[in-house]
Amino acid sequence: MKKVRDIRKPDIKIDMTPMVDVIMLLLTFFMLTATFKAAESEAIEVALPQSVYSDPDNKMKETDVLTLSLTKGGDIFVDVDNYKIREKIFGDQFAIGLFRPDTLTQSPVATTGKVGDKDLKRKVVIMNRAQFEKILVDLKNTLRSFSNNKNANFQVVIKGDKDTEYGVFEDLMASLHESDNKMFSLVTTIKADKKE
Amino acid sequence: MAGGGFDAPEVGGGKGSKHKQKKGAGVRIDMTPMVDVIMLLLTFFMLTTTLAAPQLMKISLPKGDTKDKVKVDMGNVLYVRCSDKGNVYFSSGKSDGSESELRKVELKNVASELEKLFALNNNLLLLLKFDRKMKYNVMADIFDEISRAKIEKRYAFLKMEEADFQKVTQAGG
Repeated sequence: MKKVRDIRKPDIKIDMTPMVDVIMLLLTFFMLTATFKAAESEAIEVALPQSVYSDPDNKMKETDVLTLSLTKGGDIFVDVDNYKIREKIFGDQFAIGLFRPDTLTQSPVATTGKVGDKDLKRKVVIMNRAQFEKILVDLKNTLRSFSNNKNANFQVVIKGDKDTEYGVFEDLMASLHESDNKMFSLVTTIKADKKE
Repeated sequence: MAGGGFDAPEVGGGKGSKHKQKKGAGVRIDMTPMVDVIMLLLTFFMLTTTLAAPQLMKISLPKGDTKDKVKVDMGNVLYVRCSDKGNVYFSSGKSDGSESELRKVELKNVASELEKLFALNNNLLLLLKFDRKMKYNVMADIFDEISRAKIEKRYAFLKMEEADFQKVTQAGG
């Protein structure tokens, strides 16, 4: 009786243990390497330039990063990763600073609220050059007052769009120099070296 | 491990189980729900993760106030000019303040050219004069080349003056 049933509908059992093992490994890997980006920071999209060179001992810090994003349109966005500092300096937890070196034209963000073709859902604080330089100093002082470390400092990183005019960067460098931020880093993506 | 399932330890008596089962019954745990959940988690983490960490290129501006003048022997100066079209020109300064003819250098050769020049004079100071209308991308490329060259990095960013524009335009823009 049993034999007949086996032939008609063989009871096949697939062993799932190896599959589960592999999936568990993958899951652990992705869970450990995952870094979550705050959704609000993604509104400013820049096409980063590529570089072969990368400082082996100069990595992006996890906290206390001051990001300066240079958009194609010539705007400079100032952002820090600490919402408490943002609240103190810009008056809102999700606010972001905007400085436009070119005073003759107006930033499209001020009129349309859009960066590129994406809506910027954050409150924008528009600054002139003097205010921008003051805020760079204020940000540092606020960080120091919060962390009780007199030497605490931001890691200043510049995310420039490929098609930004160099003039924007030149003005930014002048302001950084003026506000005593003499070390900063350019963020790039990896380019394979074709010569070697 | 017959069938690959979990071999449960012998269940100790109780519940009037049959003699056969006491000997070593293969209790199979259905793993399907667990696999489902794990698959979901895996998909979630795979989609949200960002793997490639961004690279950083460090730039340090000279210390001290902008008003501080630094005396430099003009013979140790190498001008690196770049036009709005992204053409790179080298010219070396001379001790009397003049400078040599502008020489066009392909972007991909900047690192090797710099290494050659530094082999002749190790005290060179790079004066970078970039056109404001140039693309940021070109600046990043030039800086990439400077960073990769095996030289002692001494550089300063200078404003491109009217005279520099003329020199670059004469050399081909």
